[in-house]
Amino acid sequence: MSKELKNIPSSGKEYWRSLEQRVKAPETEAFPHREFPEGTAEHGATFSRRNFLSLMGASLALAGLTSCRRPVEKIIPYVIAPEEIIPGIPLYYATTMPFGTEAIGLVVENHEGRPTKLEGNPKHPQSLGKANVFAQAAILDLYDPDRSQSVLYRGEERSWSEFLAAWKELIKEYESSDGEGLAILSEPFASPTLARLKKAFLRRFPKARWAAYEPVNDENIFSGVNMAIGEIGRPVYHCTEARVILALDSDFLQLEHDNIRNAAGFADGRRVITRDDEMNRLYVVESAMTVTGGMADHRYRLQSRQIGAFTAALALELTTRGLPVDGVESLDAYKNHPFDEKWLGALADDLIKNTGRSLVVAGRRQPAEVHALVLAINSALKNINRTVEYYPIGDTEAARQEDLVSLVQAADSGDVTALVILGGNPVYNTPVDLAFREALEKITHTVHLSTHVDETSGYVEWHIPEAHFLECWGDVQTPDGVLSIVQPQIEPLFGGKSKAEVLAAVSTGDDRSGYDLVRETWQSILTGTDFNRQWRRILHDGVYDGSKVKPSRVEIRSQKLATALDKKPFPTDTAGLNSMEIVYQVSNSVYDGRFANNGWLQELPDPVTKLTWDNAIVMSRRTAQELGVKNEDLVTLQHRGRTLQLPVWILPGHADYSISVELGYGREAVGRIGNGVGGNVYTLRRSNAPGFDIGVSIQSTGKNYLLACTQDHHGLDVEKLARESIRDRLPIIVREATLEEYRENGEFVHEIVEPPPKVSMWKEIKYDERPQWGMTIDLNVCTGCNACTIACQSENNIPVVGKEEVRLGREMHWMRLDRYYSGDPDDPEMVHQPVSCQQCEMAPCEQVCPVAATTHTKDGLNGMTYNRCVGTRYCANNCPYKVRRFNFYNYAKGWPEIVQMVRNPDVTVRFRGVMEKCTYCVQRIALGKIAAKKENREIRDGEVVSACQQTCPTDAIVFGDILDPNSKIFKVKQQNRRYELLEELNIRPRTSFLAKLRNPNPDLKQTQNPKD
Amino acid sequence: MTGNTKPVTVPEKQPLILGNQTFKSVTDKISGIVEAKTPKEWYLAFAIAFFGMLLLLGSIGFLVWDGVGIWGLNNPVAWGWAIVNFVFWVGIGHAGTLISAILFLFRQKWRTSINRFAEAMTIFAVICALMFPGIHIGRIWLIYYFFPVPNQMGMWPNFRSPLLWDFFAVGTYFTVSLLFWYTGMIPDLATFRDRAKTRARKIIFGIMSLGWRGGNRQWQHYELAYLVLAGLSTPLVLSVHSVVSTDFATSLVPGWHTTIFPPYFVAGAIFSGFAMVMTLAIIARRFYGLEHFITTQHFDKMAKIMLLTGSIVGYAYATEFFIAWYSGSDYEGFTFINRAFGPYAWAYWIMITCNVIVPQFFWSGKLRRNIAFLFVASILVNVGMWFERFVIVVSSLSRDYLPSSWDYYSPTFWDIITFIGSFGLFFTFFLLFLRFLPMISMSEVKAILPQADPHNSEGHE
Repeated sequence: MSKELKNIPSSGKEYWRSLEQRVKAPETEAFPHREFPEGTAEHGATFSRRNFLSLMGASLALAGLTSCRRPVEKIIPYVIAPEEIIPGIPLYYATTMPFGTEAIGLVVENHEGRPTKLEGNPKHPQSLGKANVFAQAAILDLYDPDRSQSVLYRGEERSWSEFLAAWKELIKEYESSDGEGLAILSEPFASPTLARLKKAFLRRFPKARWAAYEPVNDENIFSGVNMAIGEIGRPVYHCTEARVILALDSDFLQLEHDNIRNAAGFADGRRVITRDDEMNRLYVVESAMTVTGGMADHRYRLQSRQIGAFTAALALELTTRGLPVDGVESLDAYKNHPFDEKWLGALADDLIKNTGRSLVVAGRRQPAEVHALVLAINSALKNINRTVEYYPIGDTEAARQEDLVSLVQAADSGDVTALVILGGNPVYNTPVDLAFREALEKITHTVHLSTHVDETSGYVEWHIPEAHFLECWGDVQTPDGVLSIVQPQIEPLFGGKSKAEVLAAVSTGDDRSGYDLVRETWQSILTGTDFNRQWRRILHDGVYDGSKVKPSRVEIRSQKLATALDKKPFPTDTAGLNSMEIVYQVSNSVYDGRFANNGWLQELPDPVTKLTWDNAIVMSRRTAQELGVKNEDLVTLQHRGRTLQLPVWILPGHADYSISVELGYGREAVGRIGNGVGGNVYTLRRSNAPGFDIGVSIQSTGKNYLLACTQDHHGLDVEKLARESIRDRLPIIVREATLEEYRENGEFVHEIVEPPPKVSMWKEIKYDERPQWGMTIDLNVCTGCNACTIACQSENNIPVVGKEEVRLGREMHWMRLDRYYSGDPDDPEMVHQPVSCQQCEMAPCEQVCPVAATTHTKDGLNGMTYNRCVGTRYCANNCPYKVRRFNFYNYAKGWPEIVQMVRNPDVTVRFRGVMEKCTYCVQRIALGKIAAKKENREIRDGEVVSACQQTCPTDAIVFGDILDPNSKIFKVKQQNRRYELLEELNIRPRTSFLAKLRNPNPDLKQTQNPKD
Repeated sequence: MTGNTKPVTVPEKQPLILGNQTFKSVTDKISGIVEAKTPKEWYLAFAIAFFGMLLLLGSIGFLVWDGVGIWGLNNPVAWGWAIVNFVFWVGIGHAGTLISAILFLFRQKWRTSINRFAEAMTIFAVICALMFPGIHIGRIWLIYYFFPVPNQMGMWPNFRSPLLWDFFAVGTYFTVSLLFWYTGMIPDLATFRDRAKTRARKIIFGIMSLGWRGGNRQWQHYELAYLVLAGLSTPLVLSVHSVVSTDFATSLVPGWHTTIFPPYFVAGAIFSGFAMVMTLAIIARRFYGLEHFITTQHFDKMAKIMLLTGSIVGYAYATEFFIAWYSGSDYEGFTFINRAFGPYAWAYWIMITCNVIVPQFFWSGKLRRNIAFLFVASILVNVGMWFERFVIVVSSLSRDYLPSSWDYYSPTFWDIITFIGSFGLFFTFFLLFLRFLPMISMSEVKAILPQADPHNSEGHE
């Protein structure tokens, strides 16, 4: 490979790589890192600059060839099935995103072979047509230019076939020794194909070791269930059915397993249309304020380590009240607990009152005993198979830490001579006390499959680029067994390989295509007569309908449970200032670090702290006061002989003497976005305490570290003046009542503020011609999950601006989530309010624009003409919602060409100096209008959905024609909880909010505002 | 008075021009400044000013190259120093025309000593002012979208936008002020032409003086034209800052949405304009030895006007507070309390000190004639008036309706450099003016000398 070529920008490179992949000529197979098939390029081995330029010219001329990036194998369009691609009309294909041991069914918008947008697949049980932030943002990872581009041998470029040849040679030894010394460290998966290949591998190499590891996993849940019923099972919650829900350190609406389904079900159980509707009640016990905690009707802040004791106390309380819980006889040690008796009693009463219609969930951070006890409580409450089902784990590969530990020990003692790491980044994220890197270096032959040349890749013999799930074939199973296929949308951009392909190659040394491997698996799954017909059906639908399995029969093995609980597994003491608790949190942005190079997610404000581009030590106000630290103080965290420097962030509602730190930051080798962002908390995390630990101390360094927060900490530690003003205006901005108050007075929303007479100075435009677009956002079910923000960013080509610009207050999100606290500053309630352009009928922005760049459309949109905008920013000043976003610099510039492929071709990319904002996805409205006009009909309700609405897991957002009396939006707007934000300004916003309700337990009324 | 037999004792009027000036001495003095060799100090001052102007041009160049992101603007505060500076310079540009037009109509003869360079100051200040809204827009190369000219898009600008009104108001003001200034200068330019010794001067001043001969008929036409222009300018003095204030007053930002703005802005503008005239006059008088032309009596009168307008401004501050409370609007009420006690309180109290407290010292006649005091006070007033605009623009925007959007604004290096540079531009022009044009209106000063009134018409009345 010539030197010149290595220096060319990756974007130019990719064009031709696609061609070569498309051609699949044998000679290119030999040179996969070579740019041009023989004959396309000069015959000589080297390229002159001149030749290169002429080829680039040709690539422009042959730009149409990009459409050849469609996969070669047959994939079936999802919604529209034209014979050929019509340029400009996207196709929609179903696929599935594997996420740990879960599956998120997706529909991909594909523009001439280029996927641009991911949405949930309505037919898929784990996504229900919705998507969370990670699924929404996954599309950007596909076009990450920092992804690994080539097979590497000790850091030098090699080809896939060279690897295969080398490996084939190597496994000959292991074949004779039955795999002695051979080991695989995989990421957990729920894939029939991978499970089949694993079996085949172990058949071939029976003495080989196999371990599965992921830093954030459900191992505790699985072992807890095993402890209670003697079988590993996965809980699947039916939150809709539950009237009372107790979440124990579980962010089940946001970051725990199955969060989309949980949030959707929870919202269905909470949604109130009339005053007579029922509404569920949520109790949350947790250390840090989470999205779930914000939705709570009663939140009890408690150190994570005390949650076990709390659960035990609850079990005792339930038993005292006549509802015997299995295993309670072993819990006598927890009778003297420090928890609020009244709270606990009221909770127990409420649960008992709702037997069979309640639900207790515990977070994956909590030890197995908590999960076992929770199962016992759910069983006592007769919730099993009503609000929670336990499904057999089947051949899902779950993470087991003991396997990892024994693998590392074996490697240390030289018993492992070849290790294949199938995905993941163990050098970065395995428990620090295992010293994985040192063990890895002792292994002679190491292979690492990963998307990036990451922290682990630097210590291995062979690195293999991993394909994105949109680039490769695969299959995946939901916890309740529903199977679906991972259908590629584009040929691997960087020649990546899937796990299945690598595992097959590792087993046999043969190169098998992912397509063949998956089809082979499915030959045995699909039992019908016509395999191809069934196969096509599944590809089209995105799910295999008949594959749901039956839940396990839950029979508690009391003896086993009692033995486990007899060991007094739960600490009862409170961690203090000298030996504080540390809680390892999953990041709302980068998850466990896998999304660290995703600009959208790095810049996504945390739903609670509103921090971007960093992790911080999150603690309560009192803890900070006693430590003598304040926001943005850089402190040294000391934990069992290891230190880490991180800035402080004070979070109202956090448990005292406990700190939360987010995993997934401090990456060193991921790419230009994620490198050096935040601090690596894995360097503190130990194998015996992966969830939380005690023994942390904090010393101030005297230095400051600036954090980029999108919403100031107002209302708590700012000056009295602002605090009081916020307190006064908050009830008007976010209208809220208890369910009881709402039942007494259905019109409370309109009595909160008395609007002045709304008189107009001029003749108003009527807007009586259909359609007239409008939106409602139900604050009662909005959890603040952020999915709408990312969906909007993806749909509308919203740029990422970087930490410095966010610090200056220039973030570009069109849809933002305002987070407010109310009540006691140490133990507040939290609400989220999604705010994007409200599309005022009498828009103040339109009046002041000197060049008429923002004007009203006939169908009631506040339109933006980007071409006309000169950027006076007067509109932004005059917008009372401050939803207008200005391109202070040319933010869209400098994106590598490959990243530009993520852009939605239906939306203009804005230049610097131009104002931009939400327009209710006007491009989608236009498509709907065209479709309706072609068929000479009116637009149907639900035909046009905005991006935020489409992805919202709780269906909080409703959008449509407000003049259509049969439309959903029309009906929602009739609800008496409806109000308009700042309606007193008489600007007639088209977006309405539905007031938030809380459903507190009447028995807990007095203790609402406790002591301090 | 005719029926009164008792002679009225009129207190001896202090002459406006001191030093027993004759027509010739006036001409010699004023023309001499321009005709003499350029003083070294002028070169030094000009070099500094010119450097400032280069800074401005450089910072504008970088601005156009990189985008308005180089300034400290952010999401709630979309207007920052650029708009503050705009209003500040427009305000300064008020004194000149006020002195020339309104005081002319009111027959205030003392104006003659200061009107010329006050007018010049106006022109240059308005140039500085006009520059800011031009450069602060995001896409400066599309600024012609503002102009109501036929175009291929078939688009008019939006006439409902106060920014467009601004554009017309300031543009008109600039045009009329320029004409007024030039018209007033014609007789003096003719004097220069007549005294010119070099060919170049003869040609240049010959063209500029438009064939002025000083004949009776010419004087008649001239005085009529001057009167008409004064009449035209008078409403403009009031309108231009009123219109500028509508940028704020017609919006719905709490702290901007205030009906008191037009009169309050006009008073503030006159206040700051006089302060600037005073600062410049004190320097020029000292440097060019014009103590006989610009006397303590002039300063005394200017200080009285500043006392009046400063008090109006102070009253307006109080009224704003009262109305914010009286309106019962929480948002409005908060904005004003926030101004005084919020994160921008420092700016607010600078403003109050300089604009309300400092002019109160002008109640003392002694201080009104104390040049050193006046110099310091006039600078403080201008500082205060800059902060007034800063407080209005920035503190209102930084905390408006939804607390989630609140954010603090701080200027960047480029904000500061651009502002300093605008002074460079101003002084470059002003120094050129001092060097090449008559800084005091010779013809008008001569008209108030005792010799111009041989029959002592006032005394005989």
